[in-house]
Amino acid sequence: MNGRTVAVVGGATTKFGVRATTWSELAQEIGAALFRAVPDLRARDVDSLFVGAAMPERLAFQSHVAPLAAEQMGIRPTRVIQRTELACASGQSAIRSAYAAIASGLSDIAVAVGVEKMNLPSMAEANTAMACVMDRAWDGPAGATAPPFFAMVAQRHMLEHRTTEEQMAAVSEKNHRFANSNPNAQFYEKTFPRDKLLRLPVVAPPLRLGDCSSMTDGAAAVVLASEDVVRQFPGPKAWIRGTGQYSDFHNLAHAGSLTEWPGLKRAASEALEMARIGVRDLDFAELHDCFSISEIVEYEALGLCAPGEGGRFVEDGRSDLGGDIVVNPRGGLLGCGHPLGATGIAQAVEVFEQFAGTVPSARQVPNPEWALVHNLSGSANVHSVMVYRRGRAA
Amino acid sequence: MSRERRRTRASVALPVVPETPEVPVPPAAPAPRRKKVVAEAPPPYLLDFFPPETEAGTRLVRFFDRLREGRLSTTRCAKDDLLHWPPRTACPRCHTEELEWVDLPDRGRLYAFSAVLAGAPQGMERDVPFAVGLVDLDGAPLRLFGRVDGRPWNELEIGATVRVESYEVPDGRVFYRFRAIG
Ligand SMILES: [Zn+2]
Repeated sequence: MNGRTVAVVGGATTKFGVRATTWSELAQEIGAALFRAVPDLRARDVDSLFVGAAMPERLAFQSHVAPLAAEQMGIRPTRVIQRTELACASGQSAIRSAYAAIASGLSDIAVAVGVEKMNLPSMAEANTAMACVMDRAWDGPAGATAPPFFAMVAQRHMLEHRTTEEQMAAVSEKNHRFANSNPNAQFYEKTFPRDKLLRLPVVAPPLRLGDCSSMTDGAAAVVLASEDVVRQFPGPKAWIRGTGQYSDFHNLAHAGSLTEWPGLKRAASEALEMARIGVRDLDFAELHDCFSISEIVEYEALGLCAPGEGGRFVEDGRSDLGGDIVVNPRGGLLGCGHPLGATGIAQAVEVFEQFAGTVPSARQVPNPEWALVHNLSGSANVHSVMVYRRGRAA
Repeated sequence: MSRERRRTRASVALPVVPETPEVPVPPAAPAPRRKKVVAEAPPPYLLDFFPPETEAGTRLVRFFDRLREGRLSTTRCAKDDLLHWPPRTACPRCHTEELEWVDLPDRGRLYAFSAVLAGAPQGMERDVPFAVGLVDLDGAPLRLFGRVDGRPWNELEIGATVRVESYEVPDGRVFYRFRAIG
């Protein structure tokens, strides 16, 4: 790994859910939450701001959101200010861009923030915005959106590997259970036992409502600092030790096998090699469970289990507390909701808080040292991965 | 900085609005229930998912002219022996802009399918429920995504034979879809 070493030194999230508030108000709310959560942070020391926002033009009728967010948060960047857009991975893109800016020496202290306001009075309007993530002119006319695409992934996985609806429900049950210890989760204090999940209405067969992450309003932010200034923040840290990204295709005609995600394999091995660890060294992972089937395919692509064994892996509790690796202790996208630009950043906040040992015991991973964060975007055509390590010093 | 300080000082003389205790909205305020869409207005330009099809808006007019005759076609790079989808104006491999047009097979088999039972975009709500799928074309190395008509989604099967057809969409444009026939 070249350049300066970079640490996440703190972070915060807002309440995720169907929020009676605007995009700008969410940006103010996360600014207030961030400065409360990181008392050593002074606004004048933040030289750069990276704003993950997937579709504010469609959902908040607002472009040029980076300076808007800066103003709402009370930050005046002097080095870098920009928005990062990578659909569902817009938040992790903000972190990766902040990491690159700091590693290169351009920035010393940066904030990566993600804000998304997705719930509109008309769900059809929000669905239209979501459909624009696909190849709008060629896949769009057929009605391509995420649920039918991931439904086809599930259909093929069930056909090729005998994966069952019960195994998909096991992913959803686990992540909703973890979300019950996360007051900021959209589905906090809502229980989803497997038999209930299997009775929910079908959205895109074979996927039921409980297999799909929801439309969510929310924001999250983290502070990143270079090794040279990190002494300003005496608390715990999550050091970025590796990162990888791979963009495979866009039009659905090029999706290839729906059940193997070579892009994730590649992005993850790049990140793990950079960190000089193997997948078995990880204590927990925040994986992109936009749909229950996604998490199952991700176990396999990451090499946590053999190809085709993902369903059994979750069913046997191997991705739960006490298993091989804890997956999605935050509650996942299924339990927390999925405000596109905020998701990747909320996952990083979870990594920081897990390392700091400040999450409720119901989801605390015992003494974690290594964590991996994954986001896919669109039709799993892009995969973005980060590897973090706990530690006080670089 | 000085600008901000001036602003702060000027505000001191302004009357303070008294707090109304029942109004404050906490961060986790309950949100209004989602409203059902009552009337269906036509989506504004560029909220329509169909691409521009005439010379005024695209260089792929031949695709749509051929589709109007009922044939699905695409571009091919002769140098690379590479069949493109969707049709292109430059080859992604050698970057030549000299491409030829070829007709594609009008039959294929369902590789995977699902259906939209909820959450359709604007302009497609009236179609719900509708099936979509990936189709392996017979005799061409292409797997195309599209709407699958001709049979309810719960009567479709992987491997089912489909036919490519064109259909009219708003403003005299055309698009392609699949029809299950076997
Ligand atoms: Zn070529």
